[in-house]
Amino acid sequence: MATLSLRSIRKVLGANAILKGIDLDVQSGAFVVLVGPSGCGKSTLLRTIAGLETPDEGSIKLDDKDVTRAEPRERDIAMVFQSYALYPHLTVRDNLAFGLRLRGESESKIKARVDEVSQMLGLGALLDRLPKDMSGGQRQRVAMGRAIARRPKLFLFDEPLSNLDAALRNQVRIEIKKLHASLGATMIYVTHDQVEAMTLADQLVVLNSGKVEQKGPPLEVYARPASKFVAGFLGSPSMNFTDAVVSDDSTSAVATGLRAPIDRQRFGALERGRKVIVGIRPHDVTVRKGESSAHGYRDGAAPTEIIVSVEVVEAMGFEAYAHGPVGGAPFVARVEATADALPRRGDKLALSVEPAHVHLFDPESGRSLEGAS
Amino acid sequence: MNARALRWTLAARARLALALLSWLVLIVCAGEAQAQRTITVWHPYRGAEQRAFDQVLRAFERDRPGVSVQTLAVPFDAYAAKLEAAIPRGNGPDLFVDAHERIPSYLARRIIVSAESAIAAVPRTSDGLDLEPIALEAVQANGERYGVPLSLKCLALFVDEELWERAGRPSLDSLASIAAARTSLPTGAYPLVYYASNAYFHSAILHGLGGQLFDPQRGAYAFEGPAALESLALVQRLLADRVIPPEVDGASVTPYFRSGRAMTVISGPWLVGELGDARRYRVAVLPRVREGGRAMSPFVTVEVAFLASNAHAPGLAAELATFLASPEAARLRASVGRQVVATRSVWSEAELANDPVLAAFRRAANAGRVMPTHNNMRLSWEPANQAIRRALRDPQATRVAVEQGRRRYDDASRPLPAKRSALPLQLTLGALALALAFRSVQRARDPEFRAAVKRSVPAYAYVTHAVVIVALLVVLPLVLGATTSLYAGRDGALEYVGGANYWDIITARGGSLFASGTFYTVLLVTVLWTIANLTLHVSIGVVLAIILSRPLLKLRAIYRVLLIIPWAVPSYVTALAWKGMFHRQTGAMNAILAALGVEPISWFAQFSTAFTANVVTNTWLGFPFMMVVTIGALAAIPKDLYEAAEVDGATPWQQFRHITLPLLRPTLLPAVSMGAVWTFNQFNVIFLVSGGEPDGATEILVTEAYRWAFTRQAQYGYAAAYAVLIFGVLVLGTRLLERLTLGKQGGGK
Ligand SMILES: Nc1ncnc2c1ncn2[C@@H]1O[C@H](COP(=O)(O)OP(=O)(O)OP(=O)(O)O)[C@@H](O)[C@H]1O
Ligand SMILES: [Mg+2]
Repeated sequence: MATLSLRSIRKVLGANAILKGIDLDVQSGAFVVLVGPSGCGKSTLLRTIAGLETPDEGSIKLDDKDVTRAEPRERDIAMVFQSYALYPHLTVRDNLAFGLRLRGESESKIKARVDEVSQMLGLGALLDRLPKDMSGGQRQRVAMGRAIARRPKLFLFDEPLSNLDAALRNQVRIEIKKLHASLGATMIYVTHDQVEAMTLADQLVVLNSGKVEQKGPPLEVYARPASKFVAGFLGSPSMNFTDAVVSDDSTSAVATGLRAPIDRQRFGALERGRKVIVGIRPHDVTVRKGESSAHGYRDGAAPTEIIVSVEVVEAMGFEAYAHGPVGGAPFVARVEATADALPRRGDKLALSVEPAHVHLFDPESGRSLEGAS
Repeated sequence: MNARALRWTLAARARLALALLSWLVLIVCAGEAQAQRTITVWHPYRGAEQRAFDQVLRAFERDRPGVSVQTLAVPFDAYAAKLEAAIPRGNGPDLFVDAHERIPSYLARRIIVSAESAIAAVPRTSDGLDLEPIALEAVQANGERYGVPLSLKCLALFVDEELWERAGRPSLDSLASIAAARTSLPTGAYPLVYYASNAYFHSAILHGLGGQLFDPQRGAYAFEGPAALESLALVQRLLADRVIPPEVDGASVTPYFRSGRAMTVISGPWLVGELGDARRYRVAVLPRVREGGRAMSPFVTVEVAFLASNAHAPGLAAELATFLASPEAARLRASVGRQVVATRSVWSEAELANDPVLAAFRRAANAGRVMPTHNNMRLSWEPANQAIRRALRDPQATRVAVEQGRRRYDDASRPLPAKRSALPLQLTLGALALALAFRSVQRARDPEFRAAVKRSVPAYAYVTHAVVIVALLVVLPLVLGATTSLYAGRDGALEYVGGANYWDIITARGGSLFASGTFYTVLLVTVLWTIANLTLHVSIGVVLAIILSRPLLKLRAIYRVLLIIPWAVPSYVTALAWKGMFHRQTGAMNAILAALGVEPISWFAQFSTAFTANVVTNTWLGFPFMMVVTIGALAAIPKDLYEAAEVDGATPWQQFRHITLPLLRPTLLPAVSMGAVWTFNQFNVIFLVSGGEPDGATEILVTEAYRWAFTRQAQYGYAAAYAVLIFGVLVLGTRLLERLTLGKQGGGK
């Protein structure tokens, strides 16, 4: 267990600035998940922590020891690669023992560790196999086992589940969560799968093009995204964004087919006529019973807030998504999926939304307007 | 060459047909006409000799209307083989020119006939035939004379006039008086330069001391006893006194003379052409071996006009042979072709008598000794050469060297294994064939098998061409080679002897198993050679590959190309270049050593240095292959394995040891076993660099097999048995290597 602190890490690869000043503190025993779109620098950051890359600027402290320029082997960090990087010429047993052997541990201790780890991960029957004779899930477990066997100060995972199919991914995800609990180890986990991010993290860090966009407990980040980028990145289907203006009485944001209430406590008094982007998650709307009809929206005619002319309906079984334009932008609404109540193409759906679920963003900067004024 | 002969034969046939046609026309039209007669002549002449020969033939035609002489100049190296192939088939020459030494071999193959009729027609002078007695002696065999002698070739003494004058015009009468000139010569110049380590040259001294290389009467090797020892001691003294330079070979005599660093050289008539006007020189007879002693006496080779068996125009051929020896023809051959003609009468004519070079060569020839024509004569050269080389290198070992020569000769000339009936083999093979036929008939009856064959017909059609090609190019030669190994004989006359060749090889012909030159000793050297090379090839190749694979290295592509070049150059070119570099006087290696203040090394004088020279050369040739293979294998190792290892705590060395090496293995193993086979059979390097020196110690199995086949009287059967044994050793070796390495792979493939 260890604490890690990064201070304004910068890294240029080739001609591109990949990391543009990253600050991060990881508490001992924390499970930190780094998310972000492809190419945003997650792997680079992880490799920098592991010592495979040296930052151009900034410092890395592990347990208060500056390791910015230390070799990987001096850091006592374990890393699980996306490709697993198992040694193809070594059996599972030797793969697990590799790091310990390099450190000159006694054979009896190595054997004890290997047994312990193989028991923990259910690798007992595989110990004498070569990597090429195993399934993806088994290899993944060996890769984890190799990291665990060494009992490092810090675990790094670089998208360890991305090569697995969906079912296996769910299963292993839970195993990792359990493992974290039982080892009590400090872990940094990179993914661009937001389900993994939400479910695993104690602390979620959203990266965007080399910068930390937002960090915090996952539910808080989900509930109060600091920017349009974060809001759009987390949640599936992703948040609906509509260009709107603040109404004359400053109580709502208005666009064609849309009137969203503004929570004054969060956004303060917004000047009327101000352009904003309204963000509403598909899951946060409710269908107004009995009003889904042919009659349209009239200005000031509360409480009908959102009217969607349905173009496509996706029925998932337990719920359904109705797609249609609102305010000139595509809009998705989650609706109940009972067969008789399913909206049809051409229907006009009237939806309402709680003020607490309406997010407002500045059209220029994309930052949340929460607490802005 | 064959194509040329063929084209020529075709042309000859066409002309023959044309001649026939015109003859018919003449008969029909004119009623009577003289027959157009054609005679075919083969000769090995080039340059001036060829011009002279052509003029002689034109003269012959001039005197005989209706006769036309067709000539073919055949390159010397393939001459005998072509004659032996063409004459029995009736498309050879009517007359051909060759050296007298080949008489026994040509007689054995029945391609020449007695030339008594032609010789009888040679004019006589008051004291007998108009031919040199020594030349007539040379063509004598079984009481008859085969061929008309044309000219004589032997060694003589070339004297550099300028150096000789500077040395105060010393007497050239004896080796001692020549040696005395040493002190008055400029530095770097020697009183005498000749190919001292060669038995042909050494024989001149040996004869002068009453010894000989080979006794033609007894048909026995004779380079032993007091005369041999004395002759070697004499040359050792010359070397020690720096009268002659060390380690001169055939090729370095001319440069010595041309550059004015040799007051005298012993050489043959060919040197005249090579010198041109480079130096002012004269030719003299060879000196006496010691003051008041006998003169050195060189071997004399006589060029002979042979009458071929199977000739189309035997009468005309005999007539031409007589004419070639006539004074008229001899005059042309002497003045234009610069030949030392065997026709005595022309030498009394002023023009020839006053030609200093030709007259000197004639005197030298008349003081010489005819090269014996006994079959075993040719077997004496290699043992004698080795004995002389060893004795000159190491005077302490003179006696041993001479004894060793004797043993080598006995070994090469040992009686052939007893001829055996091939019946048991034929019976076994017959029985096998019968059993096979029986089985196939049985199988063919099985309807299932028939159906299976029918189904696979298209598949067979696809592989037929490959099977045929492999059968022709691989299987057939292999089977023929293996069959040859059951035969024995010299000069291609083979008789079935069963496994006697193998028995001889495996029991070391009754001698000690690990004596020099036995199969086991040579095998040991071969294995050592293979291991030493592979170790160097792989380690250098891997190290360079790793350096070249570093992404940071600048100009990587250029280095790669440069390092692959040794591989791209034909290996014999490289081998010759390296041999030059290891030359004692002129080689780069000794120049480098000299710059470092180290004594120059005679690289090919001891096993260790000669072996090293071979290994260095072959390493130069061999590492690029391993390097290229390794570069490919390195590129195939995923980068993240190194990163994983780095994070796991591996130092760069540990990464190499635990990741790179094990992952290179699967790629390197096939390369290593292939390299092992190549190196095991690396003929070019051994043959061209050390040539087996010293004393055949660096010979490997293939070069040894080559020597049996091509320098020890063509003992093809024995050589083939060697080849089969090599094949066996390689099959076993590669199997073993496979086993060993598969075992280590932990069962995984
Ligand atoms: N050696 C390099 N030289 C130049 N650019 C590089 C190099 N390695 C990576 N990059 C660039 O750096 C950026 C970040 O790469 P990184 O691998 O950290 O992304 P990532 O966030 O892990 O993406 P993904 O989710 O696809 O794995 C990418 O745009 C990539 O093209
Ligand atoms: Mg990545």
